[in-house]
Amino acid sequence: MGPVMVGPSSSHTAGTARLGRVAREILDEDPVAVRFVLHPPLAATYRGHGSDFALVGGSIGLNVDDPRIPEAIRIAEQMGVEIEFAEEDMGDVHPNTVRVEIRGKAREAEIAGSSIGGGVIDVFNINGFSAHFKGDSPTLLLFYRDRPGMISEVTKIIADEGINIASLACSRKQRGKDAFMQIDVDSPMSKEALRRICATPDVDEAKYLDRIP
Amino acid sequence: MIESFKQLGELARGRDLADVFLESDAQEHGVPAEHIIEALTKRRQVMRDCIERGKGGGTSMGKLVGNEAKLLNEAFLAGKTFLDPLTIKAELYALSVMGENSRMGVIVAAPTAGAGGVVPGMLLALEEERNVDPAKTVRALVVAGGVGSIVALSANISGAAGGCQNEVGVATAMGAAAVAYMMDGTPQQSINAAALALKNTLGLVCDPVGGLVEVPCVKRNALFAVHGLTAAQLALAGVESVIPMDEVVEAMVRIGRALPRGLKETAEGGLATTATGCAIGDRLKDEANQRRAERAAERERLAQERKAEVTS
Repeated sequence: MGPVMVGPSSSHTAGTARLGRVAREILDEDPVAVRFVLHPPLAATYRGHGSDFALVGGSIGLNVDDPRIPEAIRIAEQMGVEIEFAEEDMGDVHPNTVRVEIRGKAREAEIAGSSIGGGVIDVFNINGFSAHFKGDSPTLLLFYRDRPGMISEVTKIIADEGINIASLACSRKQRGKDAFMQIDVDSPMSKEALRRICATPDVDEAKYLDRIP
Repeated sequence: MIESFKQLGELARGRDLADVFLESDAQEHGVPAEHIIEALTKRRQVMRDCIERGKGGGTSMGKLVGNEAKLLNEAFLAGKTFLDPLTIKAELYALSVMGENSRMGVIVAAPTAGAGGVVPGMLLALEEERNVDPAKTVRALVVAGGVGSIVALSANISGAAGGCQNEVGVATAMGAAAVAYMMDGTPQQSINAAALALKNTLGLVCDPVGGLVEVPCVKRNALFAVHGLTAAQLALAGVESVIPMDEVVEAMVRIGRALPRGLKETAEGGLATTATGCAIGDRLKDEANQRRAERAAERERLAQERKAEVTS
């Protein structure tokens, strides 16, 4: 069964709210500006389905079943968040695909993902790196400098916690340069483990995301 | 993980279908059965509450629908309906949920929001009319969810991916399997009910007028809730689907790919591009533009106010 949610469309409200929420969680602070770039089929239908409320709602941290979703744009304006919608053909992707460019006071983040139905999402790009994030399990997102031994050091810390890794994927922009690792785990990770991972040499940033409701 | 209906049929032979799904989930995701039952007990209650609110009617966001549940309920209460109460309630409850959905009310996606009236319509009408224990309805939701999750392994559950067959079609299959379960059918009868229901929705396009989940979605949910009940009835009487459920799903995926983009939720074909559909679409666009202009004016006014505050 799908989620408890605010209507009218699970692809357009539940899924899009979750996509907005993923961007907000990766940013990890209150946003000051969010730009939503919509793939044409979504751009054609998003307003009627309330995706604008949902995307904005998610990006300011509302859950899919939050009754304030229909008011999200007004709430965002009150928070002083600058909102922009744009359209761009992203090529051979699912019809309901959006890129979220989110900026806070200190940081910025960018994700691209599809809302594939029933509230299910597939985030395929995080900060320019290829990803496979669904938000259905606790996940560690690691931004680091590509070098030998990184995977074994990080996975050792996770193994020390007695946590099972469900899946692991890496991508990099260039050998020895910026790289990204996504580790989906079966159970929640402690703050101490996260601190140890952050302290690993050549790790720029580690983000731990719980299941996205 | 249960990967096909064939595998499900083998695993479930002589067993309780809900138990089979619960065990599989516990194994795959480490979620104990009690947690799933608890979560679905809440879903059933959200469905119930939603139906109660929705019976009273109201106006949808696009103002295209709203009073369907109210009209049917009034006719029913006044004794002016000719169908049997189970059929009427299935229609009524599906309409109620979809009415709430069109007003951005809280609903349960089953499997999607746009098809979210079918399963509660069928299951909660049956629960009332045939005195089914609510705990059994919750277990039937396990069955419905399990059927949906097997379909979702090979098909995207969205109108954008494959048309309405992927939404209302799948919902009807889920509901039909769950109804067969509630009426003490065998697992094989549940699978047949799903196959019979889904076969008769193949090719169903997604052509929402003005791009809203209102026309034809709201009434379609009601009509397919009844369709699902009839599929379950056939299966319970021993009628089998000649084409196995796995192959029906494959056919659905192929048909979905073959459907032109205009009939997959884009509001660029079908009912959306009839004379009336286009006129409604144009009106909605004008209204949206007007609202945007009003919001922009409001932002401008607030900015001016802030500026005035700073200078004073």
